Amino acid sequence: MKRLRGYRSLVVIVVIAGAALIYTFVAGNKPLLGLDLQGGVSVVLKPVQEVDNETIDQAITIIRQRIDAIGVTEPEITRQGNNILIQIPGVKDKERALELVGQTAELQFRPVLANVPVDPQEATTTTSGDPTATTTTVAPDASIPTTTIDPTKTVGGLPLDVCASGLSAGEVNAGGQAILPQCDDGLLVGSYAVGPVSLTGSALETARANLSESGQWIVAPTFKSGADGIGGFNAVAGQCFSKSSTCPTGQLAIVLDGRVLSAPRINSQSFQADQIEISGSFTERTARDLATSLKYGALPVEFEQQQAQIVSATLGRDALNAGLVAGLVGILLVAVYMIAFYRALGFLAIAKLTVEGALLWSMISWLGSNNGLALTLAGITGIIVSVGVSLDSNIVYYEHLKEDVYKGRPIRSATDKSFVTAFSTIVKADVASLIGAGLLWWLTVGPVRGFAFYLGLSTALDILMSWSFMRPVVKLCTRSKFLRAHPRILGLPAEILQQTSRSAQARVQAEVSR
Amino acid sequence: MNRMSRINRGQTNIDFLKWWKRGLAISAVLVIASIVSLTTRGLNLGIDFEGGVSWEVRAPGVSVEEARSELESVGEGEAKIQIVGSDILRVQGPESTPEHTVEVRQALADLAGTDVSDVSVSTVGASWGSDVTASAIRALIFFAIAILIYLSIRLEWRMAVAAVFAVVHDVLISVGVYSIFQFEVSPGTVVAFLTILGYSIYDTVVVDDKIKENEGLVGQSGRMTYGQMTSLSMNQVLLRSINTTVSSLLPVLSLLIVGAFIMGAVTLKEFAVALTVGMLAGAYSSVFVAAPVLVALKERESKYRAIRERLQSQGVDVTRSTERVDRMGAGSPAISAASAASSTASATASATDSAEKSTQVASPSVVIPPRPRKNQRKR
Repeated sequence: MKRLRGYRSLVVIVVIAGAALIYTFVAGNKPLLGLDLQGGVSVVLKPVQEVDNETIDQAITIIRQRIDAIGVTEPEITRQGNNILIQIPGVKDKERALELVGQTAELQFRPVLANVPVDPQEATTTTSGDPTATTTTVAPDASIPTTTIDPTKTVGGLPLDVCASGLSAGEVNAGGQAILPQCDDGLLVGSYAVGPVSLTGSALETARANLSESGQWIVAPTFKSGADGIGGFNAVAGQCFSKSSTCPTGQLAIVLDGRVLSAPRINSQSFQADQIEISGSFTERTARDLATSLKYGALPVEFEQQQAQIVSATLGRDALNAGLVAGLVGILLVAVYMIAFYRALGFLAIAKLTVEGALLWSMISWLGSNNGLALTLAGITGIIVSVGVSLDSNIVYYEHLKEDVYKGRPIRSATDKSFVTAFSTIVKADVASLIGAGLLWWLTVGPVRGFAFYLGLSTALDILMSWSFMRPVVKLCTRSKFLRAHPRILGLPAEILQQTSRSAQARVQAEVSR
Repeated sequence: MNRMSRINRGQTNIDFLKWWKRGLAISAVLVIASIVSLTTRGLNLGIDFEGGVSWEVRAPGVSVEEARSELESVGEGEAKIQIVGSDILRVQGPESTPEHTVEVRQALADLAGTDVSDVSVSTVGASWGSDVTASAIRALIFFAIAILIYLSIRLEWRMAVAAVFAVVHDVLISVGVYSIFQFEVSPGTVVAFLTILGYSIYDTVVVDDKIKENEGLVGQSGRMTYGQMTSLSMNQVLLRSINTTVSSLLPVLSLLIVGAFIMGAVTLKEFAVALTVGMLAGAYSSVFVAAPVLVALKERESKYRAIRERLQSQGVDVTRSTERVDRMGAGSPAISAASAASSTASATASATDSAEKSTQVASPSVVIPPRPRKNQRKR
């Protein structure tokens, strides 16, 4: 047993690799293909101003809800620094998905033409008074609620699932009349016929939720000054207050994402920019939600769509094939080169690459199945590049070995001695590469990250494999008397006999006198 | 012994001191050309840096002219239309409304005779590319600092400085190549450049490790200058450098030729071109930039300067690398001479050779010092 001690790591790593491979097949883990390989939609959103972590997380939650609403399976939404990367693989209606996630919906103020009755049978679940089925008022003096919209009325021409499916840009019809739903937790609770958009969220300076003097939650928006701000608001408020033909109900709907958030009744002819209050049966949560929506539109911060991609499935498949074929050809080429150059040792280098590949495949499959980490084309490139990194380690060791044997060290002792020095070089060089990959992963976005991740992963694997695989297999080979007697098979020079190596000078002299 | 087998045995006798001067000239020319081209011609920035929309569809047999006349009807007659790879039609236009994007997508699908879902669309805001570049530059700076610290700890600060110097050189030249040949720069290209950094460092570390090992040669015996020792080390690791470069380049070349050109995967091309250029620059710079910079830094140290001055006063030519004594054959000043000598290996030539040697180098055991032993023995 003692003789085998140096080889334990070899047995362990091969068993681990084999077990990992078997587990991968048994568990049915497969690499999750990125959407550049399987087709799909990808969007990168960037906040237009500096934001804190909480805000980004909040935005991600909202975006996730929107995508879930269109019934897409497994959207991948990740944070990359302050950017949000949304990847939706294999979605059918790509344009629609893009529209939903890519655009920060605009907050609109629209005069209410009529409260369309909601059908009692269809709107079943919300019969009791609901806080967001607003009873609202806008008045400088925080007046009491005046209108209650009975949620048990009609669906008024809107499909029941309208809250989940949303409306298209055409249906929202910003320039004209539209019928818009009011939703609560995805359920239709009200329906409004509204006129054209009279004001957008950009007219608002800010909004906050407050407790009024009477102990009720209210929402207090502050408008910007000038014609685009409070001026515009007062113009439409005036129409609503006087119940003119453009605003017969006297209510002004606050619309977001094609859904009516609230339709407060206007209680005054004109307002001061910072003296507006929306009151009703708000709870703290609903008041804050409305304030947030007023402030930021759909998302708690405004996003700019930096990049949007729709990848067709056929082009994706082509790219995958090209990557795989190029990878195989590349590996074949280096295999030929290594074996031609280092013979049996070259073969061992390829064996190391194979075990490394098995481990990497298992890891990628596991990460793909359990962590949703997708393998992109950039990632495949990273892996192909890492083939070079892995072989570099072998070359560094083999060259060291050769040098030692040339210097007169017997092959067996050279095997151990040169590994120590070569491994120190390998670790130094690999760690330097790892630092590079780590920084790339940490500091960059998009495809860069996939590349850096897989390059880093395989570089780390290389350090492990150099020690636990390359060291013992080479040692195993040089143990063989036959191979030592035929060093050409190992790609090594012949051993120099002891007596000559003892005195190199003598050797030179011998050469000279020959 | 022929040249190949000398390289194989790490027994070449290339006078790197001489080659470094040439290398310096080449590097200077390349760097200046890069800078001039960058300032005058600039870079051919792709759609990712300017903002715009790009459509791609596999359209065998459709020519650019056909595509243009077709696209005029949807107002994209001015768009940049290319055939990339073998049969992929790529149309790039300025930023536009989503409705227009859909319209063009439909037009392209009709043109290619496929379903609209087979058309890829990529919309890029103008800030995307610059964001990627900004993060790349940030990564470059962080990388330089991290490598400086890491190599200072593991090797020494002079080697760290030389390595970073080489990296900057590589990046400049790689970007320069993109500017001179007006290759299109995409975020993928920027990424690939960053990856080169790690690679360039790998080669440099291998060489530096050998130099570190040989350092005793200068200190203990005082028979050669730091530069000569470095040149010797370069000769010893020459095959290592060649082979690591070849083994790294082969997969990348396969990506470029098989993946990008034969199979027409455009994304692969972005990576592969940059990787190839960067790797070549990296292999070159670890020999011709990092090493001479290290020597220049080292020979400023009083210890090594003293050795150099002493050798100079002894009449030793310190501007050339020392002649090597190899146990396998006669050393000679230059590789050409070496092969000539080996082909007509006469006893007298070898004898005079070795006589010369003994004046400069005490014994071969000094030329190849014993490897530092580690204390713990494995068995």
